[in-house]
Amino acid sequence: MKAMIVDDEALARRELRRLLAKFDGVEIVGEAANIAEAATMIESLAPDLLFLDIQMPGGSGFDLLSRLEHVPRVIFTTAYDQHAVRAFEVNALDYLLKPIEPERLAAALARIEPAGALALPQRAAVLEQLFVRDGQRCWFVPLKEVRLLSAENNYVRLWWGKLHPLLGRPLSTLEQRLDPKRFLRANRAQIINLEFIESVELGINGRLHVQLRDGGPEIEISRRQARLFRMQTSV
Amino acid sequence: MTSAIANASPRRQQWRRAYWLCQLGGWGVYALAQAVAATVVDHMPWPRTILEVTLIAAIGVGLSHVLDLVIRRNDWRQLRLSARVPRVVGVCAVLSLCAAPMMSIFGLASWQTAEMPAGLPAPQPLTVFVVQGTNWMFLLLFWSTLYFGLLSIRDRQLAALRESELARALQFAELRLLKSQLNPHFLFNALNSVRALIAEEPARAQSAVTQLARLLRYTLSSGQEELVTLEHELAIVDDYLELEALRLGERLRVERDIASQTRTLRIPVMLLQILVENAIKHGIAELPAGGLLRIYAGIRDGDLVLEVENPRPERRQVTASHESIGVNNAHKRLQLLFGPGATFDLDLSRPVWALARVKFPLVP
Repeated sequence: MKAMIVDDEALARRELRRLLAKFDGVEIVGEAANIAEAATMIESLAPDLLFLDIQMPGGSGFDLLSRLEHVPRVIFTTAYDQHAVRAFEVNALDYLLKPIEPERLAAALARIEPAGALALPQRAAVLEQLFVRDGQRCWFVPLKEVRLLSAENNYVRLWWGKLHPLLGRPLSTLEQRLDPKRFLRANRAQIINLEFIESVELGINGRLHVQLRDGGPEIEISRRQARLFRMQTSV
Repeated sequence: MTSAIANASPRRQQWRRAYWLCQLGGWGVYALAQAVAATVVDHMPWPRTILEVTLIAAIGVGLSHVLDLVIRRNDWRQLRLSARVPRVVGVCAVLSLCAAPMMSIFGLASWQTAEMPAGLPAPQPLTVFVVQGTNWMFLLLFWSTLYFGLLSIRDRQLAALRESELARALQFAELRLLKSQLNPHFLFNALNSVRALIAEEPARAQSAVTQLARLLRYTLSSGQEELVTLEHELAIVDDYLELEALRLGERLRVERDIASQTRTLRIPVMLLQILVENAIKHGIAELPAGGLLRIYAGIRDGDLVLEVENPRPERRQVTASHESIGVNNAHKRLQLLFGPGATFDLDLSRPVWALARVKFPLVP
C-alpha cells in the first residue's frame, strides 16, 4: 500500500515515518508540508493512503481533501482536534492522536488494509468515493450510494440517502471519472445511477421518464441518451 | 414560624442576641433615667422606685417585642415606607392604649403625675390614661424609628459585604480560569516533537523535557502569584519559544528588544506568555513561510510598555473568535489588577501584520 504523509512539522513527519517502518505493507511514497504541495504530489504519486494533519498553515487537511480529484483513504493525525474530526459526518475515516500510539496505528491500518487492497486495481480507472464539504459538514461519499448527480450552476448536487450535499466542481469534470457501467448521463444537467432506477416510462418523442428509488425528481432521458440507455441496460 | 427555625443559622442567632441586648440595654437605660428622676426630683421612696422602673422596663420590653413580632410575622420590612409608617403607627397606638391600663392594674399610675403640687386633687383616671398613653405612644414610635434605622443599616452593610464577597470570589475564579489556559494543542504537539527527538537527538529531547516541565510548572503555579518579574516571565517565554521552534523550525524567527531597566519590574503572570502564544498560534504558525516575532519591553511616560509584533495571514479565518477570547482575558486581568491605569491594544490595521501592546503602571 502506497502511503503519503502530510504534516507541516518535519519532526512529526519523521516520527510517523519511524512508526510506519514496522509495517511491511506500508510504503511511504512521499511527504508534504502544506496542502498546495500535497495536492500536486497526490495527483502524481497516487497514494492509496494519506496520513493527514488537520491544522496546517495555508489550509487545513479538510481543505486539501475538498480540493482533490481522487481522494485516497485517509487517516487524520492531530494533536488535539479529535473533536473536529468527530464533528464531521465521517464514514470510512479514522484519526490518530499525536503523539501516536503504535497500537492505535496498527489498529487503524488493519481496518484499512482489506478495503485498500480491493480498491487498488481499479484505482486509476474510476472514482470510488468523493470527499464532500458542504458548509460545516464533511462526508466521504461512496459513489455507488449516490443515485443522482445534478448540475447547479458550476456545482453538483449529490442525491445521497437523505442528504443532498453540494460538491464544489462542475458536472463535466466529474463525468469522465465516473464508472460508465453504473452511471448514465440522462440529459445536460443530470447523471443517474442505474442501480437506483425504479421505473421507466416511454414518453413522447422517444424520451424516457425515469423514477428513482429513495425519492428525487423525475428524470427525463433525452432521445440521444435513451438509445445509449437501452444499449447499456440490455447488456 | 417554621421558616425562622429553618433559618436558625449561627449568624441569625447572633442577630437575635444583639436584638435582646439592645432591648434590655435600651429599656434599662430608660428605666434608670426614670428612676433617677423619681428619686432625685420627686423624692420617691427607694423600694417603690425599684418596683416602678422594673415594671416600666418590663412593659417596655414586652410591648416593643410584640411590635417586633408583628413586624416580623407580617414582613413589614419589605413594605414601602408609605405603607409601613401608618401600620406601625397604628400598632404603636393600640399597644400604648394597652400600656396605661397595665400600669393601672399594678397601681402604679400615680408616679408620673406625682410632681404635681400637693394639695391639688388627685388626677382624673382619664387624664392619667391620656398622659400615659401619649407617653407610651412616643416611646414606641421612638423605638420603631430606632428599630428600622438599625435594621436598614444592617441590611446595607450585609448587601455591601455580599457584594464585595461576590466580587472577590468572581475575580478569584476568573483569574484562575484566565491563567489556566495552557493551549492543549501546543502541549500535545510538543510531546509529539519530544517523542521524535528521543530517537533523533536524545540530548535535545532531554532539554525539551526540561523546558516543557518548567513551562508547565510556571503555568500551574501562576495561581499563587499575581505579579512576577519581567525577567522571570521572559525566561518562560524563551522556554516556550524553543519548544515551538522544535516544530516550526526555520519558520520561527525571534527578535527581542528588552530595555534593561524593565527586567526587574513586575508584570501580571502569564501576560507576555499569552501574547506570544497568540502571535504564534494566529500569526506565524498559520504562515507557510513563517515570520519574525518581535518582543519589546520599555518605559514610556512612566508606564511599562510591552509589545508583541508578528506577521499574520492576510485572510482572517474563524480563528478571530479564539483570538478575541485571549485578548479579552488579558484585558480583563489587567483591569482587575490595575483598573483604568492599564491599556491593551491589538492593532490589526495593517493587512498582514499584528501588534499587541500592553501598557500599565510600573510595579517595582
